[in-house]
Amino acid sequence: MKQLFHILSFEWKNLWRSNTLKVMLLVVFGAGIYGIYFGKFEMDKQEARILQVQQYERQQFDSLLTWVNLDTSLVGNKEKYQKAVSPIGSGWNKHFTYYLAHEAPPAAGLCLGQRDLFPVYYGFNVTDLARQVNTGELANPMKLLTGNFDLSYVFVFLFPLLVVALFYNLYASEKEGGTLSLLQSQSTALRKIILSKGLLRLFIVWGLAVILLLLGFLFQGISIGGKSLLFVQWLLIIFAYVMIWTVIMGCVVSLRLQSSLSAMLGLGFWLVFTLITPALLNLFVLANEPLPNRAEMIHTLRTMNGENWDNPKSFVLERFYEESPEYNDGDTVDFSKWYYASFTLLDKEANALNKEYEIQVNKRNALLEEWEWIAPAAMVHEKLSELSDTNRESHLRFVQEVHDYHKSLKELYYARIFEKGQFTVQDLKTLEKLL
Amino acid sequence: MLKLLIKKEFLNALRDTRLQVSGGILIVLMLTAVLVGKQGQNQLQKERAKAQSAMYDKWLNQGEKHPHSAAHYGQFAFKPKPVLSFLDVGLDNYTGISVFLEAHKQNEILFSAAQDSNGMTRFGEMTASLVLQVLLPLLIIFLTFNIFSKEREEGTLKLIHAQGLSMRKLFMGKVWGTYLMVLLIFLPVILLAYLLLDRQSSSLDSEVLLKFLTLTGSYAIYFLVFILLCVLISAFAKNSGFSLLTLMGLWIASCVILPKATTNLADKVYSTPSQFDFKNTVKSKVKNGIDGHNPSDERLASLKQEVLDEHGVKTIEELPVNWSGIAMQAGEEYTDQVYDAEFSKIEDIFNRQNRFSEWASFINPYLAIRNLSMALSGTDFQHHVAFAKAAENYRRDFVKKMNKDMEVNHKPGVAYSDYNVGEQMWASIEPFEYDLPSTSSIISNQWRSVTALAVWLIALFFSASLYAPKIPKL
Repeated sequence: MKQLFHILSFEWKNLWRSNTLKVMLLVVFGAGIYGIYFGKFEMDKQEARILQVQQYERQQFDSLLTWVNLDTSLVGNKEKYQKAVSPIGSGWNKHFTYYLAHEAPPAAGLCLGQRDLFPVYYGFNVTDLARQVNTGELANPMKLLTGNFDLSYVFVFLFPLLVVALFYNLYASEKEGGTLSLLQSQSTALRKIILSKGLLRLFIVWGLAVILLLLGFLFQGISIGGKSLLFVQWLLIIFAYVMIWTVIMGCVVSLRLQSSLSAMLGLGFWLVFTLITPALLNLFVLANEPLPNRAEMIHTLRTMNGENWDNPKSFVLERFYEESPEYNDGDTVDFSKWYYASFTLLDKEANALNKEYEIQVNKRNALLEEWEWIAPAAMVHEKLSELSDTNRESHLRFVQEVHDYHKSLKELYYARIFEKGQFTVQDLKTLEKLL
Repeated sequence: MLKLLIKKEFLNALRDTRLQVSGGILIVLMLTAVLVGKQGQNQLQKERAKAQSAMYDKWLNQGEKHPHSAAHYGQFAFKPKPVLSFLDVGLDNYTGISVFLEAHKQNEILFSAAQDSNGMTRFGEMTASLVLQVLLPLLIIFLTFNIFSKEREEGTLKLIHAQGLSMRKLFMGKVWGTYLMVLLIFLPVILLAYLLLDRQSSSLDSEVLLKFLTLTGSYAIYFLVFILLCVLISAFAKNSGFSLLTLMGLWIASCVILPKATTNLADKVYSTPSQFDFKNTVKSKVKNGIDGHNPSDERLASLKQEVLDEHGVKTIEELPVNWSGIAMQAGEEYTDQVYDAEFSKIEDIFNRQNRFSEWASFINPYLAIRNLSMALSGTDFQHHVAFAKAAENYRRDFVKKMNKDMEVNHKPGVAYSDYNVGEQMWASIEPFEYDLPSTSSIISNQWRSVTALAVWLIALFFSASLYAPKIPKL
C-alpha cells in the first residue's frame, strides 16, 4: 500500500511538471465550463420564451375577466362582453387561445438532448388539436445539425480523448525516455508500476469529471442531494464511461507499441466508437427505413373536413352523439354544435393515424436501440438525455399532456355550446384555474 | 528530380502496412456510404415523388366545387431529395420535408427526420463527405507527421541535402508524393459516385455533372491544403512525437470542437427570434397595416371605393365582377407582403449566423469544405430557403387563379354553393416543380468558402517556398 502511494505521489509530481498535461486538462476543463455556460444560456432562452407566452396568456385572460363584468348597457361594451362569455367566440375568432409549456426539467441544461428539435410550448383553442400542434419553433437547421455544446457533449466526446491522451504513452514514454531498464531493475514488478501510473491517470480524469459535474449542478441550480439522486446517477454513468475508455487504452498500452502508434490506435478507437459506428447505424437504419408520411394525416383531415361541410349537419352530429351521448339532446341542425362536434371527430381520426405513425417510428428506433451497444458514445448520450428528461420520449409525454389539457378544456366549452348557453363569471373562474 | 522524389514518397506510403490498412478501411467506408446512401436516397426520392403525384391526383379529382373551397382544400409540396445528397446529407435530416399549401396562410415546412428519430441521429450519418472531410485528413496526418523528422532522426536528411538537392524541391516532392497517395484513396469513391449518377439524376438536376465536378475539385484542393499544412508543421517540429501531438490537436480543434463552437457562438451573436414573436408580428401588421396606421378594415373600405368608382356604380350588388374574389386576393397580397418582409428578416438572421462559420473558414479550412460541400450537394440552408420560396410562390399562384376565377366568373347574386368549377379548372394548375439553384448561384452564395480555400492554398504554397530552405536538417 505504501509502495503504491509512493509511486502515485511520484508520478503525480512527474505529471504535474509536464506542460502537456496542464494544457490538456485546461482545454477540457475550459470546454466543460463553456458547456455548462452554454447549457444555461440555452435553457434561459427557452425559459424566457415560455415566460413570454405565459404572460401573454395571463394578460389576455385578464381582459376576458374584465370584460365579463362590463356594464352592457353602454354601447361600446357589448361586443367585449360577448367576446368574454361566448364559448363559440365571435365571427371566425375563437374564444381563447390557451398555452401549455413544456417546462424545463432540472438537469436539462446539462444535456439539452432533443429538446431543441421541438417547440417548448403549444398554443391552441378548443377546435381540433391535430392541426394546431403541427408547428415548430424557428431554428437555424445548421445549429440543429452541429448540435449543442453542452456538458454532456464534453463528457461523451472530449473525455475519451483526454483518456487517450493521458494513457497512450504510459509504457512507451518509459521506453523512449530510457527509464524502462531502470524500472525493470527495481524490486517492484513493472506491471505494478504501469498499473499504478494508470490508476493515477484514471483518478485525474474522474476527479475532473466530479469537479465539472459539481460546477454544472451548482451553476445551473440543480439540487445535488435531490431525491432522484440525479447527481449520483450522472456520476456513475460518467465514471463507467471513463472506465470503458481506460480499459480500451489499457489494452492498447499492453501491446507495448511505439508511442506514436499507440496514440494513433487510441485515436482510431475513439473514431470508431464515437464517430464511425453511430454514423454507420444511422446510414443503415435512418436512411433506409422509411419514415411515416405525415402529410397523409393533413390530407385525411382536409378530406374529412370537406365531407363535414358538404353533408347535412346530422352527418357529423349523429356520429358525435354516438360517442358522446352526454351531449345528445336530439338536435341535428344547429351550426355551432355541428361545428364543434366535427373537431372532435377530426381529432379522433388524427389520433388514430398518429398512433400508426408512432408504431412505425418506434419500429425504426427499436432497430437502432438493438444495435446501440456497438456505439457506446451514443448509448451514454441517450442515457444522459433520458436522465435529464430531454429525449424524444420526454416530448411525447408533453404532447400527451397537451391532449389531456385540451380535453379538460373542451368539457366546459362543450357543456355550454350544447346547452346553447354562455359562460358565467364562475365558468371563467373555472377556466382560469386551468391556466 | 522532382519526379523521383514524388515516386519515392508515394511508394514509401504505399508500402506501409498501417496505411494500407487504414486507407483500405476508408475506401471501404466510403464505398459503403455511397452505395447504401444512394440506395436510401433513391428510396426517399421515390417516396416523395409518389406522395407528390398522389397529392396532385387528389387535387385533380377533388370533384366539383367553388374555386375558393378548392383553395382551402389546398395542395402539398414535397421537397425533392437533391441528387447529390447521397454524398453529403447536410441539413436534410433537420429540415422539414413537406408543406401544406392553402388559402390565406403560409404554413410551416414540417416533419423533419430528426423529429422522428431518437438521439442517435445527432451523431450524424455516414456519408462520403464525413470520411473525406474528417477521416481522410487524419490519414494525411498519419502519412506526414514524421515525413521530415524520420529522415532527420535517421540522418538521411543531411545526406540528401549534401547531394545538392534544394529543400524547396524536397518539400514539394514530399507534398506531391503524399497528394498522389491521397488521390489514390479518393479515386474509387469518385468513380463509384460518378457511375451512380444515372439518367434520372440529370433529369432531376440538369447541372448535376457540373456540381459533381466542382465538388470533386473542391475536395481535391482541400486535401492539398491539408497536406501542405501538415508537412509544413511536421518539417519544423522538433521530433515525431511532438509533431504528431500538434497535428492531432489541430485536427481535434478544427474538426471536432471548433465547428460546434462556431455555430453555437453565431447563435449567441445573432439571436434567433421566437416563432411566437414572428407570428404575432405578422398577424398584427396584417391587422393594423405595415406602418401601423392602415388597419385592415380601412384598407378594405378604400379598395371597395376604388372598385366601385372604376366600374361607375354605387353598390357591390351592381358590380359586374365578384367583390369577394377581389377582396380576398387583395387580402392575400397584403398578407404576402407582410409575410415576405418578416420572413426575410428571419432568413437574414440565419444567413448571418451561417456566414459566421463561412468567415471562420479563413481560420479553419474544414469549415470551408463543409459549407461548400453541403451547398454543392444541395443540402444547405440556401437550398432549403429556395424550396420554401418555390412552394410559397406556387401557393400564391394557384390561390390567385382561384380568386381570379371567382372574381370574373362567379356572378353577383349567385349563391356560393351554386357556383362550382371542375377538373378542367384544377388541371389548369400545373403540378408543383422545383428547380434546384444553379451552380453559379451556389458558388456566388458560397464565395467566402471558395475564397477561404483559395487563400489557404496560396498562403500555404507561399509559406512553403519561403520557409522550406529554413527547415532544420539535423
